[in-house]
Amino acid sequence: MIEGSRLKASGPATLALVVLMSAAVFPWLGPPVYFISFFYTIFMYICLASSWNMIGGYAGYISFGHVAFFGIGAYATALLMNVFHLSAVSTVLSSIPAGAVAAFVAVLVGYPCLRLRGPYFAVITLCFAFVVDLAVKNLPIVGGADGLWLKAMDLPIEISRAIMFELMLCLMAVTVLVSAKISYSRFGAGLRAIREDEEVAQTMAVNAPWLKIRAFALSAFFPGIAGGLHAYYLTYIHPDIVFDVNISILIVLMALFGGGGSWLGPVIGAAALSLVNELLSTFVKAELARIIYGSLFIIVIIFMPNGVIEFVGKMRKAHSAAAS
Amino acid sequence: MSTILLIQSLIGGIIMGAVYALLGVGFSLTWGVMRVINIAHAAFGLLGAFIAYTFLKQLGIDPVVSLAFTVPFLFVAACLIYRLVISSVTRAKEVMISSMIITFGLAIILENVVLLVWGADPRLLTTWYTGKAFVVGPLYFQYSPLIGFFMAVFGVAVIHVFLKMTYTGKAVRAAWQQPDAAQLYGINLKRISTITFGLAVASAGAGGIGMALLYSFEPTSHNLWLVNLFLVVIVGGVGNVLGTAAAGLTIGVITGLSLAFLPYQWVNLVTFGLLMIILLIRPQGLFQSEV
Repeated sequence: MIEGSRLKASGPATLALVVLMSAAVFPWLGPPVYFISFFYTIFMYICLASSWNMIGGYAGYISFGHVAFFGIGAYATALLMNVFHLSAVSTVLSSIPAGAVAAFVAVLVGYPCLRLRGPYFAVITLCFAFVVDLAVKNLPIVGGADGLWLKAMDLPIEISRAIMFELMLCLMAVTVLVSAKISYSRFGAGLRAIREDEEVAQTMAVNAPWLKIRAFALSAFFPGIAGGLHAYYLTYIHPDIVFDVNISILIVLMALFGGGGSWLGPVIGAAALSLVNELLSTFVKAELARIIYGSLFIIVIIFMPNGVIEFVGKMRKAHSAAAS
Repeated sequence: MSTILLIQSLIGGIIMGAVYALLGVGFSLTWGVMRVINIAHAAFGLLGAFIAYTFLKQLGIDPVVSLAFTVPFLFVAACLIYRLVISSVTRAKEVMISSMIITFGLAIILENVVLLVWGADPRLLTTWYTGKAFVVGPLYFQYSPLIGFFMAVFGVAVIHVFLKMTYTGKAVRAAWQQPDAAQLYGINLKRISTITFGLAVASAGAGGIGMALLYSFEPTSHNLWLVNLFLVVIVGGVGNVLGTAAAGLTIGVITGLSLAFLPYQWVNLVTFGLLMIILLIRPQGLFQSEV
């Protein structure tokens, strides 16, 4: 939080702090569990979309396989728990090494794959997610197609959900903070230069391969932790749940909807689309909801290729927040 | 015994590969000619398969005959979609990525429309010749895959001849090689792009019916088809019709052989792994790229 006040504008930082504080108090006011879970999901998607944005938005390397890191984190946490017979608290803490595992995998995969550009990178990351999914399903050591069970907390559901809410809130805050820090740093400027023109960036002494792999590892680290937390939240994980390719697609859509150029874009995009998602799944048939989602992709690309923030900014004929 | 199994798997692979080639040619063309990566391509193929299914179930019309309706229908639908949706991104800075995302949306819409109309159950095209086969020595040939095979060979040949022989086909190739020069010579780029997209999607419909003659299909089948399409097109060289055909056969044989030697659930892993390796080693394709 102290770091946050060192960002360029201290006004918005104070506002963010107030919002975070009041959000942290929320679950202890005794709201229905439904709302706690709902906000938990929003925080999770903000975290995922912001992480994705570090490589997909800033550097322009569109990854369609980010769910792989989420799932790897979930499985790493579950395995750590089962192998070492961890208690509840240490299981939650083990999501941090799980994030490191995801980041490590990202370095291994990113090293060869980040040489590919544009559609080729998108295809290979999608393939990677499928491969991990299939491999986990077919390896009995990690539970195979049966999935894995985790020990639940011995607490009433309101309390346990509230604890998960706070943890995800913290993770989200840290992720967004890191994303914002990157966006204003030399690192972020280097990534943007890569997005604009990688050859020119390299002749201007931007070490593109090194920056890309760092961004990719970071963008895998936070989803890994989120996956670990989510595994504990679900208490049961299965490849179809934590490697669901729809999560990948949703993350991309959220970041692009908000606007991939800025750190705020994915936050707005994830919050807005989680809300839309919740409303649609409550009131509309699942198929129809997905049709609306598909249409959103088309609308976003045609009418606001730079995201809703810039779109609104342009509408108001003002300088957009994304342009910094 | 095992040699017969091997030959049988090879034949199965070749048939499958030919159908993948037909499904992939259009995907390759839109990618090569217009820099549009149509993620919804396989979903259009699936739509073709489901339309053929309804024709067969409701009216008793053979899938091959119903092509006479499916192909023109998909052509017109695709031309409209191109003009309304896709053409707005063809002048964007990053056509490929934008087109991928836009057609991703299209694929989701198509999949769920199919789900709403036909439901989630796996379907089979059961004609009077389904399950029947003739035997040559120790080998047996089922009729419906064979029909799919000949349909695919014919379809790829038609597209090849169209591109090489007809004026419109030559215009498509010219637009791919030198868009600006082609326009200077009086080629209407927008019209050519619309026709290319329409043709590509129409051929996907035929390919989808071919797939349906080989396997059962369901609303989510197009995802797996799509991965194979990427494989076929990237191996064959983007925009290369004959390369796509050769790649289809190669991939078909590899898949056929892995089906013979590996448990079924590992076969997809082989496909995905192969695609990743080829992307890393030679993303420009194994065959030289030209229309």
